[in-house]
Amino acid sequence: MVGYIIRRILGLIIVILLASLITFFLMHAIPGGPFDELKMPLPAEVKAQILKKYGLDKPIWEQYLRYIWRALHGDFGVPFQSPTETVLSLIARVWPVTLQIGAITILLSFTIGILLGILSALRQNTWIDYLVTTLATLGTTVPNFVIAVWLMLIFSVTLRWIPTGGWGEPKHLILPVLAYFLAPTAVIARFVKVNFLEELRKDYVRTARAKGLPERTVIFKHVFRNALVPIITLLGPMVPDLATGSVFIEVTFRVPGLGKFFYTSAFNRDYPMIVAMILLIAVLWGITYLITDIVYALIDPRITFT
Amino acid sequence: MSKRLVVYLLVLVMALSLSPAFSAVKNSAGKILPPDAAPLEYQVLRVMSQPATTLDWFISVYKRTNEANNYFGEPLVRLNKNFEIVPAAAKSWSVSKDGLTWTFYLDKNIKWTDGTPLTAEDFVFSFQLAADPKHGWDFAWFYSPIKNWDKAVRGEVPPSAIGVKQGKDPYTLVITTEYPAPYLPMMMLYSTPLSKKAYEKYGPYYNNDPKTSVSCGPYVLEEWTKDKQIVFRINKNYGGRVKPYLEKIIVTFGDPGTSAFKAYLAGEIDICGYSNSQIFTPADLEVIEKDPELSKQFHQGFGDFRTFYIGFDCYNPPFNDLRVRRAFAHAIDKEAIVNTIIKKQGIVAYGFLMPGFPGSNPEGLKNIITYNPELAKKLLAEAGYPDGKGFPTLDMWVRADLASPTVVAAANAIGAMLKKNLGIDVKITVKETKTFMDALNAHKLQFYLVSYGMDYLDQSNMLGIWVSTGRHAWKNDRFDKLVKEASALLDKKKRDEMFKEAEKILVEDVGGIFLWHQTPGALWKPYVKGKDLEPDKYGITALHWPGIEGVGTTIFSIYISKDVLKYRK
Repeated sequence: MVGYIIRRILGLIIVILLASLITFFLMHAIPGGPFDELKMPLPAEVKAQILKKYGLDKPIWEQYLRYIWRALHGDFGVPFQSPTETVLSLIARVWPVTLQIGAITILLSFTIGILLGILSALRQNTWIDYLVTTLATLGTTVPNFVIAVWLMLIFSVTLRWIPTGGWGEPKHLILPVLAYFLAPTAVIARFVKVNFLEELRKDYVRTARAKGLPERTVIFKHVFRNALVPIITLLGPMVPDLATGSVFIEVTFRVPGLGKFFYTSAFNRDYPMIVAMILLIAVLWGITYLITDIVYALIDPRITFT
Repeated sequence: MSKRLVVYLLVLVMALSLSPAFSAVKNSAGKILPPDAAPLEYQVLRVMSQPATTLDWFISVYKRTNEANNYFGEPLVRLNKNFEIVPAAAKSWSVSKDGLTWTFYLDKNIKWTDGTPLTAEDFVFSFQLAADPKHGWDFAWFYSPIKNWDKAVRGEVPPSAIGVKQGKDPYTLVITTEYPAPYLPMMMLYSTPLSKKAYEKYGPYYNNDPKTSVSCGPYVLEEWTKDKQIVFRINKNYGGRVKPYLEKIIVTFGDPGTSAFKAYLAGEIDICGYSNSQIFTPADLEVIEKDPELSKQFHQGFGDFRTFYIGFDCYNPPFNDLRVRRAFAHAIDKEAIVNTIIKKQGIVAYGFLMPGFPGSNPEGLKNIITYNPELAKKLLAEAGYPDGKGFPTLDMWVRADLASPTVVAAANAIGAMLKKNLGIDVKITVKETKTFMDALNAHKLQFYLVSYGMDYLDQSNMLGIWVSTGRHAWKNDRFDKLVKEASALLDKKKRDEMFKEAEKILVEDVGGIFLWHQTPGALWKPYVKGKDLEPDKYGITALHWPGIEGVGTTIFSIYISKDVLKYRK
């Protein structure tokens, strides 16, 4: 198992290097730069100085090698859009905001999703089941930014219970989490329902019932455990997804999180931030998949490390 | 003291205490609030802006907040709601007979919050910084008329060689120009200086932290929470002319296009919309139109005298042929576009200068380019493309930051008109702003829809962008000569005539097809009041350019009336 993990980590390092290389060259291939010429062209000398100031006057390969060298020493540069701090301190400042929303969303969507899934499986073809199906359809088909606008119009504009956006107080968490949580909850609820129904039809359940075990024991002691194991496959990709935030949710609710910076960095040609965030995502996805694979192997004895 | 005297005195004191002068409430800067003003704790204005990197003009023009800026320093002059310049840091100014030397006499009462007086040295320092190519200032083209400015920007002479110097004493600032520039005082609207002392001590971003921020303007920095908000607090020791009413201005960061209107509806901000741009979507405007209360709060004005137009690459085929450009101009029904798509957000443009802008000439230009599909067809056939045959398929680029649903709808309508009237296929592409501007500035854009709004109120600014060294791939020697000469002319009558001729050439030679002038709207709550929000000399009530920026007088005339008690909890 140790050998497997080492191999995977080495693979991850290669992936990260490739991701940084591709990102670096792609972003430099796009026209424009970290200067604005909305009105009139800047004098060539000024433009040259701006490029020099940001170290962009060197050949791209040299810039890349310098970047990697500095990154290996923990220096990811200074974000163009916030020159009074470093890329690392900016990420350290804004990431906890996104993580907070992500963690609450995961917790809520798993709790409520599992609960709804079980309820609709046990009460199949009743109003609860129809309600869950409707919610699941809504959650998977309506994009979260549309839900965000609905929520804002209902709770902020019409009822005026919750602010339209902002950050710093618990009430600012409500709408982003609500907008975020519907889709994963819907997926989880449907997934749990299908698994539960599948398990309920299996022989061991019939045997347990035939043995005269109370229904509660059958459901919670036997079916529950077996039906929930595959949910790990859902949790895996959801973690890095929610941990890096959503551009739409954060921009709509004015949340100063990491997701918003994907958007602002790309539009401002904030090269140091773009590369740093791509690397962060690559690392997060890599590690999450590694952990998911390990946990999977530990749970399911049929899977071995090769 | 006799009893009678005591009674008289008591009566006098009571009478005085009832008089408005005594009962009036003063704010922290000692300014008496209007009688209908809400209590002091309500004198807070809440607005929304895109996040900023700096608040200082001389650090970066494009990375500042939208409009809520220029509060920490005194520009030499300010602009009032009638677009007239009024004294600010400069009590008065004079110009030499040859029109080349401007002397500004500074107000000695203005001091920085660290106790240092505001002197010519701060202005000289700020201008030299902006001219220094090492600073890489993003508006370095702006002060071109100043002596040696362009040379300094190109690094040919040191920044100290520019024509901005201290005069006979620290309170006299002398600006010399390369050629007579009668519009120089108007340009000096944008001259809010940095504190030399603070810059040298704390660096370019000294105004980003209340601990190091220094102000000689009407407000000081109370809070700057990154990505959340900026809070400006009234400067109790402000010695200038525009003492404000508002105790605080809170600027919440957000994407105005996405969030501002909803925040306004939810009562979280007091003003929505800017003086120079349109943030309302057609759907927002429908909501406003249908709501009688909101309709009353919506005011449209001149904006920044912005004109939307179609531009061409006139250096290469097919648009190097005037007949092709004229065919296009005659094939577009501007009236229909404005009446059906732009609606209240604009008026038909006959030239580049919007009615109300100095020297504008809509009547004189109205009949040069009229909607005439037959003539358009004929011209195109003469140019070798009968019914559009052989004409390449066009890709019309629309700049992303201007591509509101309304503008995109207008672009599509233009495409449809060109197909119907000329048989030419036009594809519409919304192009990311930086990519668009890169191509435009490099004169590599074949066909595009864009706009321009003024930087200062003078024809030399708006028409100056059309000279061949500017951003457009269009060249007309007579136009270049006229604009360059008129810009430097002191004789106003002759100057106006020359600019009129130049604009006529621009329209006749179809440097661009001028479509509509934008009339942006802003919403403000009924409790937001102030003299500058009342009708101007044209009878128009609007948030006039430069909006709530500190280089205009509007923000300092605004107060919160007692009506606020019905709205804010």
